[in-house]
Amino acid sequence: MDSRYAVIVGYARSPFTPAHRGALAGVRPDQLAAEVVRSLIARTAVSPADIEDLILGCAFPEGEQGLNLGRLVALQAELPPAVAGATVNRFCGSSMQAMHMAAGAIALGAGDVFVCAGVESMSRVPMGGFNPLPHPGFYKRAPEAYISMGETAENVARAYSLDRAAQEAFAFDSQQKAADARASGRLADEIVPIAAASGTVTEDGCLRPETTLASLAALRPAFDAKGTVTAGTSSPLTDGAAAVLVTSEEYARHHSLTPLARIRSVAVSGCRPEVMGIGPVGASKKALARAGIAVGDLDLVELNEAFASQALANIRDLGLDPARINLDGGAIALGHPLGATGARITGKAAQLLKRTGGRFALATQCIGGGQGIATVLEAL
Amino acid sequence: MDGVAPLGINSVGIIGAGVMGAGIAAQAANAGAKVLLVDVASEGSASRNAIAEAARTRLAKSEPAALMHPGFLSRIATGNIEDDLGRLAECDWIIEAVVEKAEVKRAIYRRLEPVLRPGVAVSSNTSTVPLAALTEGLPERFRRAFLITHFFNPPRYMRLLEVVAGPDSDPETVARVSAFADRALGKSVIQCKDTPGFIANRIGTFWLHAALIEAVRRGIGVEAADAVLGRPAGVPKTGVFGLLDLIGLDLLPHVLTSLRAALPADDALLGLGPAPELVGRLIAAGATGRKGTGGFYRLKDGAKEVIDLATGDYALARRPVPPAAKAARRGGLRALLAHSSHEGRFAFAVLSATLAYAAKVMPDIAADAEAVDRAMRLGYGWKQGPFEMIDALGAGWLAERLRAEGRTVPPALADGRPFYRTDAGRLSVLDRNGAYRAVERPPGVLLLADVKRAGPPLAANRSASLWDLGDGVACLEFHSKMNALDPWSLAMANRAVRMLPAKGFKGLVVHNDGANFSVGANIALLRVAAALRLWPAIGWLLRRGQTVFSRLKLAPFPVVGAPSGLALGGGCEVLLHCDALVVHAETYIGLVETAVGIVPSWGGCAALLAQLATAPERQGGPMPPVIKAFEAIATAKVSKSAEEARDLGFLRFSDSIVMNRDRVLAEAKARVLAMAKGYAPSPPVKLALPGPSGEAALELAVRDYARKGVASPHDVTVAGELAHVLTGGSSADVIVPVDEKTVRDLERAAVLRLARTPQTRARVAHMLKTGKPLRN
Repeated sequence: MDSRYAVIVGYARSPFTPAHRGALAGVRPDQLAAEVVRSLIARTAVSPADIEDLILGCAFPEGEQGLNLGRLVALQAELPPAVAGATVNRFCGSSMQAMHMAAGAIALGAGDVFVCAGVESMSRVPMGGFNPLPHPGFYKRAPEAYISMGETAENVARAYSLDRAAQEAFAFDSQQKAADARASGRLADEIVPIAAASGTVTEDGCLRPETTLASLAALRPAFDAKGTVTAGTSSPLTDGAAAVLVTSEEYARHHSLTPLARIRSVAVSGCRPEVMGIGPVGASKKALARAGIAVGDLDLVELNEAFASQALANIRDLGLDPARINLDGGAIALGHPLGATGARITGKAAQLLKRTGGRFALATQCIGGGQGIATVLEAL
Repeated sequence: MDGVAPLGINSVGIIGAGVMGAGIAAQAANAGAKVLLVDVASEGSASRNAIAEAARTRLAKSEPAALMHPGFLSRIATGNIEDDLGRLAECDWIIEAVVEKAEVKRAIYRRLEPVLRPGVAVSSNTSTVPLAALTEGLPERFRRAFLITHFFNPPRYMRLLEVVAGPDSDPETVARVSAFADRALGKSVIQCKDTPGFIANRIGTFWLHAALIEAVRRGIGVEAADAVLGRPAGVPKTGVFGLLDLIGLDLLPHVLTSLRAALPADDALLGLGPAPELVGRLIAAGATGRKGTGGFYRLKDGAKEVIDLATGDYALARRPVPPAAKAARRGGLRALLAHSSHEGRFAFAVLSATLAYAAKVMPDIAADAEAVDRAMRLGYGWKQGPFEMIDALGAGWLAERLRAEGRTVPPALADGRPFYRTDAGRLSVLDRNGAYRAVERPPGVLLLADVKRAGPPLAANRSASLWDLGDGVACLEFHSKMNALDPWSLAMANRAVRMLPAKGFKGLVVHNDGANFSVGANIALLRVAAALRLWPAIGWLLRRGQTVFSRLKLAPFPVVGAPSGLALGGGCEVLLHCDALVVHAETYIGLVETAVGIVPSWGGCAALLAQLATAPERQGGPMPPVIKAFEAIATAKVSKSAEEARDLGFLRFSDSIVMNRDRVLAEAKARVLAMAKGYAPSPPVKLALPGPSGEAALELAVRDYARKGVASPHDVTVAGELAHVLTGGSSADVIVPVDEKTVRDLERAAVLRLARTPQTRARVAHMLKTGKPLRN
């Protein structure tokens, strides 16, 4: 195997808590991300001096998430001054994109150790930002370029004839899997305790283990009075940060680090904005082709659950096995801090490969504006 | 409001987390105090503070809201009486609000007594137990610290506080508690004697009981009784039976029993006899009123039903309007009481007995007639107290009628003198010794009613007047129906700007003593003009309002708005053009124009934008003030308190909130004087508006609301116009700041377009007809 492959050496995240009412609403996003990075470095015992760059994903990099947040997080995490920092925005795909950039740099010989992080405080910087200012002429010509995410979820539900019951069954499963994972302690390893005004936050706050199919059926449509998508079948607005340590395979070997998985292939692709939820289909097909494997070779999949409708459409189009998807629950239950989710699901997929002894994993997500991003991981 | 420290009370402990205790806790939190709410410890539950915690949780959801701001909940800590005596002892004022049983209360006092710090006040919120009984057997140290503070339900909204000091109460402690209740809690404090039921419940219970007995005796229907004893008598429309349902039928026998036990045998209340047997049956059946399965009224399958007092059977409510009630609309209280109908005679029987009772007991229960009147206005929501009613009827007329029926005429009524008179412009009242004495207002209390009594206005027309508040400060008063603003209101504001400097005035307060500051522009004018297609007339009225309000803002003297109650639409726009606001805590502000299918167009959009754009705490970039203004206006959001109005951006942080309504005018006047020296109008604000880019962003948001089913089709149209106005129109560019006039021009153009739509005209007509918005 080519030694310029990148490997995932460690993964950590903050608790994910609901925006505005959750325990992390009062915590600044830069501080939140720095805490997670600091903990990741400590847990992996990598030498901070060896880190080339901290690449940080964030979907609305303004206000407290503004300036060059990547650099500020590196400084706040007390990484050596020589460690660089960059902020990258591909909306929900931002921190997976950070990993792709690290893997690319490693392949190019442009560094050996990268911190790939992501953060979003949806409490403190609203989705859409403080100053939404679409191009008025372009908006008239192509309003779908600025379409709201909920509307795209309805479009996908309609296009794939996904009724409420199907979406709710999917959401219910996600809640059950997440509740099981938490109850049996399978989430504890990845969570970094965060100091907040109310005390130290150690647990996720979005989970609703009490959810039943009946309680889901009772909700009103969230985006379209005549639609099928509800708050229960959508990922909640969330505060959270996640980080993954990506190194060259060679570096990991020489420094006795234990990699979780190899980044085997990556891809991004666009789709029509009004059905952005199907973005993972094109991106995953490309990534699988680049890895030279088929869907049937995948042992597990982390498929981001922006909405149940969109996840179900991806499962259908890609022919995924539902039993191998989101083993510890997905974003509908855990939450979806936009910039942080890519690092969470890719780090999670690597961790799960190790835990289950599988060989190939796919992590993929849809992206507002009409895109998909995908990463194929391989066990070492 | 913060900074209660100068009053010597910073923390309030409340024992008893029932409806009253929790409500008092909320009002103390509203006042800025640190609050500890305790109840008995819960054994066997997860928390020993479970009872107080549950009460605290209920407060957050109470309707009408007990808290003036959700954030104030954090000022209320919880505990229990077993474990937290030490924490209670740290409070500056401890209020006991437990069950009305003297022995239970005394047991609590005995536990408190050893831990009391010197200077701490302890009071009971009892409504029925005499102070003497409460302090029986307690040491002098405790009796010095002790008094009764009787709140009315709900404690946030009812302005009356009856205070009873005992012979041993430390006067300084009583004064400290009274001052805190007045200034911080916003209560009108009445010092009462230690007599059963104090003032309000003594008279109020008599009135309720008399009405109940007379209605049963005379075979008057429940609805007819409320129809004559409610609005026509200047009483809330719940009347008597509706009020009994509201407070709970079970309360009346309880209060009656304790009053009977304490009152002298010859008291007229005892003479009324026991409660009708029906009441006992209803209570036994759980029909205790709104909190039970219904009472005299009930809702069944969505329909309102009313009980037959004779049979106890329910039938559909018919909402009758007896001729006596109609007569009162034209001829006032006297026409009601003189009406020869069955209901008229019933009204006379109840009210004449109540008024005579008030006149009889006044010397024993209060310092003077004014205290009794104020107690009934603020404790029972009567428009006029019993002595004001007697004056309205004529004391001689009432005495004559009583004599004609062979009833005893109380000495206070016997000579037919009015209870109030004006001596050299000052209000005097008959005191309990039968002498006229000037009504004294506490320092810091200035009532427009007193100013009006003192002399003629500086200027007046049918809708507004200008008054001289003294010290070179004038007051602009609106007094049209519901204080709706019309061309005459504008003319008076305009006159103030022209006239005041010439007459040497230093500044102006905009204030009135109506229930509501102003419900907004008189939209009947809009309806007529639109129906006649008099578009230039509408254009003129819009321009006129903009011009006058701008002049207020640019006047060479400070203008301070001092509202209470509703300040909607045009009423809010006036305030947005004031240089500073001194706002009663119970002020409900909003730009509600979209409810009638238009946008604020007397400069309200421009002024709110300017205020939000210059707010020190605002987010950067052009959109945050635009979004905030858009959300408030498009949803016609009305604040549920002055504090919430601050959140919405209608108040600046430099504006002040006054808890006691009676102190608003004096405070506003003081603000004018403080600003007057070296006053210069604030320089015009330049607005960096986003133009079509921002408009597109708002349009996207509106589209989402429409899809969600939250915005109706015409909501979308109106919101589109509003977005256009607030973003500065098609030629606005964020790098070219504009002045407020640009936005005002857009306001007028938008309303002229909207007024031509049938949907807006339907909204205006519907609002005028029903008082409710049409969602077309």
